[in-house]
Amino acid sequence: MKLCEFIRPKNLAEARKALRGLGPKGMPLAGGTALHFMQSKAPVTAVDITRLGLSYIKQKGDYFVIGAATPLSDIQRYRGPRWAMHEICRRISTHQIRNVSTIGGNIARVFPWADLPVVLLAMGARMVIYSGKEKEINADEYFSSQPARLFRDGELLTAVKIPVLKAHHGFGSVKAVRNAAAFSLVTIAALLELKDGFIKSARVAAGSGIPFPQRLKAVEAALAGKEAKTEVFREAAAAGGAAARWTGGEGMSADYIRQLAEVSILDALERAAEFARGRAE
Amino acid sequence: MAKTTHTVSFTVNGEKKTFGTRPDEKLLALLRREGYRGTKYGCGQGTCGACTVLVDGRATYACLLYAMQAEGREVRTIESAGTFDNPSEFQKQLVAAGAVQCGYCIPGMVMSATALMETEAVLEDEIVKEYMDGNLCRCTGYEKIWVALRKTLDKQASAKKPAVKKTSKGAKK
Repeated sequence: MKLCEFIRPKNLAEARKALRGLGPKGMPLAGGTALHFMQSKAPVTAVDITRLGLSYIKQKGDYFVIGAATPLSDIQRYRGPRWAMHEICRRISTHQIRNVSTIGGNIARVFPWADLPVVLLAMGARMVIYSGKEKEINADEYFSSQPARLFRDGELLTAVKIPVLKAHHGFGSVKAVRNAAAFSLVTIAALLELKDGFIKSARVAAGSGIPFPQRLKAVEAALAGKEAKTEVFREAAAAGGAAARWTGGEGMSADYIRQLAEVSILDALERAAEFARGRAE
Repeated sequence: MAKTTHTVSFTVNGEKKTFGTRPDEKLLALLRREGYRGTKYGCGQGTCGACTVLVDGRATYACLLYAMQAEGREVRTIESAGTFDNPSEFQKQLVAAGAVQCGYCIPGMVMSATALMETEAVLEDEIVKEYMDGNLCRCTGYEKIWVALRKTLDKQASAKKPAVKKTSKGAKK
């Protein structure tokens, strides 16, 4: 993407006014790494949002609130009670990219290989959008299609709220890659709530290997009310393999990606269950 | 290069400077144009790490960062790490280990290692690998680079340890 102008608003209101005035010719810029994947040759004005106080992580009530311009490396290094976001952030790209890429940039425009949309879908996160005042959108609605539709009038993503995991809740994520810094072939994230060894509720999501990140409702249905054990997880993983439209790529067939997804779903569920059992004690 | 239309001010290797630039110019292009040529152009797409510089102490790919993003920041290039006559400890160890083959990746390796040594107190292998995971060596000289880095870190760690006081046990009276 070609930049023809670069402006540095002093506050959120100024940033929104600038983006509203620019329309499709304006582009919020934090780390800026995503711009290199945008094919459009139309010149745009970059609106720098890194100086608006949007880089922070804090626990507020039942949520961890992460500023939209918080670099992935900060999320990776942060530690809080029942914090689970660091694992996936460590697996995204390289050290240098994690230092500049932000959580907002990872989800404001969803690229097919993006990992955070998958994790946030499974976590049941809430996105905070500023349009003069703040409003919250849940992950299911936010990721129902490309989020650009939510930013047409200069609105800005300002924060992501992640529920603090309670006792008996467990989270697991798996990212299958060809090498450490490569884009994901399949990313799976699972949130399980256990009670007396049984699955009270489950949220499972997938990304990469399918056209757009989505919840795997067939997996969730196969888990509901069942005992949290490997045989059940394996059946649920098979349901996930059958339900989604897996696509091949990078020299791999769709069938290979489906099998990879099933193994990844199983691993993510095992990790989530282990996490939940650890937290329950 | 095409005519500059904007200015950007930031600190380079301790000196505050103002440069002419354009909104679409990358920090790497600006630095090399201004004489900081130790920072290399490798892949140009944020993969190889040859262009690694420190921005406010964090290792960053200069080929992905727009120069305008550096406004007010503190940028450090390989020129700040050591010189031919006065190399840094890691640079000395790289030479001693025979780790420098074509040498193209080394400036980036040194800058990533600098970020590591200045940021982390505990230098376990897992953390070291995490800091170095964005630097590729196309000569595949990783083993010797690793040996040189580990020696540098171990030397740094032993220098930080407080001197052990000799006890009089066993000493001749």
